[in-house]
Amino acid sequence: MSDILFNVGYGHFLVLAAVLFLIGTAGVMIRRNALIILMSVELMLNAANMTLLTFARMWGDLSGHTFALIVIAVAAAEAAVGLAIVVAVFRGRRNVDVDRLTTLRH
Amino acid sequence: MSFNPADLGWLVPFLILAIVGMLLVLAEAFYKGTDRTALVGLTVAGSLASAIASIVLYRQLEPGQQIALMGEALIADRTGYVLSALFAVVTAMTALMSPAHQREHDWQMGEYYGVLLLSASGMVMLAHAGNLVTVFLGIETMSIGVYVMCAMRRRSRRGNEAAMKYFLIGAFATGFLMYGMALIYGAAGTTSLVKLQALLPQTQNPGLVVAGAFLLVVAFGFKVAAVPFHMWAPDAYEGAPTPVTAFMAAAVKAAAVAAMIRVFGIALGGEIIPYGTLGWASPMVVIAAITITLGNISAVRQDNIKRMLAYSSISHAGVLLVGICALGLGSKTANSGLVYYLIAYSFTTMGAFAVVSYVGSRGRERLLIDDWAGLGNQFPGAALAMTICLLSFGGVPPTGGFFGKFYVFKAAMEVYDGQLLWLVAIGVVNSAISIYYYLRIVTAMYFREANQPFAPNRSGGLLFVIVVCPLIVLELGLMPGWWLRLVG
Repeated sequence: MSDILFNVGYGHFLVLAAVLFLIGTAGVMIRRNALIILMSVELMLNAANMTLLTFARMWGDLSGHTFALIVIAVAAAEAAVGLAIVVAVFRGRRNVDVDRLTTLRH
Repeated sequence: MSFNPADLGWLVPFLILAIVGMLLVLAEAFYKGTDRTALVGLTVAGSLASAIASIVLYRQLEPGQQIALMGEALIADRTGYVLSALFAVVTAMTALMSPAHQREHDWQMGEYYGVLLLSASGMVMLAHAGNLVTVFLGIETMSIGVYVMCAMRRRSRRGNEAAMKYFLIGAFATGFLMYGMALIYGAAGTTSLVKLQALLPQTQNPGLVVAGAFLLVVAFGFKVAAVPFHMWAPDAYEGAPTPVTAFMAAAVKAAAVAAMIRVFGIALGGEIIPYGTLGWASPMVVIAAITITLGNISAVRQDNIKRMLAYSSISHAGVLLVGICALGLGSKTANSGLVYYLIAYSFTTMGAFAVVSYVGSRGRERLLIDDWAGLGNQFPGAALAMTICLLSFGGVPPTGGFFGKFYVFKAAMEVYDGQLLWLVAIGVVNSAISIYYYLRIVTAMYFREANQPFAPNRSGGLLFVIVVCPLIVLELGLMPGWWLRLVG
């Protein structure tokens, strides 16, 4: 037991990242508020980042680290655009519930 | 990755798009008045300059020659330059279509043109991608731009809703893409596509490769709108402004397939990774079969032309996936067949949506098939252009669409042991079904009386696209060999 707690290895990080990714995926599919969905997507991206960094350490390779930095920058740009879209939708409808976005359904 | 200034010469098509795009965003900040015609001129000039640069660089290369740029971050080869020229021309056409739609539907915004070119620069990056990092960056540069363009008609509830759906699904797909790439990186310790091809078959952790490849199949399934990841496409295509829909259906889909050609053709290609029950080709062929069939069956039920074209583009994505499977399973002609199909499909889509944009006018978009009754009598030119594009979509000779399908299916039949024969049979049967719903529009245009006079959205740029696209589609069908040899 103490071994798992105190000897933190690469496997722990990979499992933590996989769990985070699953939580993010479940969040996107279950939650109906657009903002929460956006947060869940960020969680998925951060899980991917953590996986990248762990593998970069394992391989002793820098390209994984730079990749993670690029992902962080792109995720910020994506969040900016996403929040703007959420605000635009909110202005028109006073809510951002994705189940109530039904104007386009036939 | 290392920076080599000498490589910049090979990247001129990309640099032109990126720099002119940034200049356009800057120009909008200092622009007085509401007339944006000058910005359209600059956009078209920039994209055409980029297309010409692509053609010039294309002629510098031998067939099959590949030059690694910036330490394999990008690859310069003939496929890449043909596709980047295609993206640049489609961008120019989108810019020509846009001012009339903006004026008519009251969403004049100069930033639109800057974002359009920046998005196109992401596509060019995808066409030349040689590294997982550039694939990711290209997809995001392209997608973020298109989210913005989709949302630009801010006062329209439908536009906002379409943008929201497109954005949420796109961001979700990015999550899958990134995690899949991280796992593949973990299996081989490199992000270079060429090195991955050599290292992946001898990895210590085949589980990582399988999981990563399947996640990438899901991510690209979302991006090209393959069933069962297609739910967003009809809504996004219907709600977005028509020129943006054209750009999404033609260029964005083609760029996603260009990225797939690189990722699945190079990094995950070879003799081992695609094969077997755990190879990525097995889920991909199933997805391709469902996509072709379900896209067609849903299109039959649609009364709204934009939605029908959305479902038809889903079914075309299925044919493209057949080509990707053939490429992964080692068909030699799959690459040139796919590029030919992308060219034919892009110009057909641009032409069809240009007519849709032409027919709709202020306050009345005329998107239902019933609204198109009698177009053949009143505006025979527009009806003829639409007919040519629809026949090309349906795969009727002598149009580009017919030879596109022909070459992709021929490549699929060349796969060892006839593994994809059943898929080709499904594809051919579906082409026959698809002609039924395309002809519904044609019969409405020619054989029914108009219930209301048409007040089309006249503009020089739009008319130019309506005239040129069907001509290119016919030319593609009459001289397919020349286009096929571009990358052969």
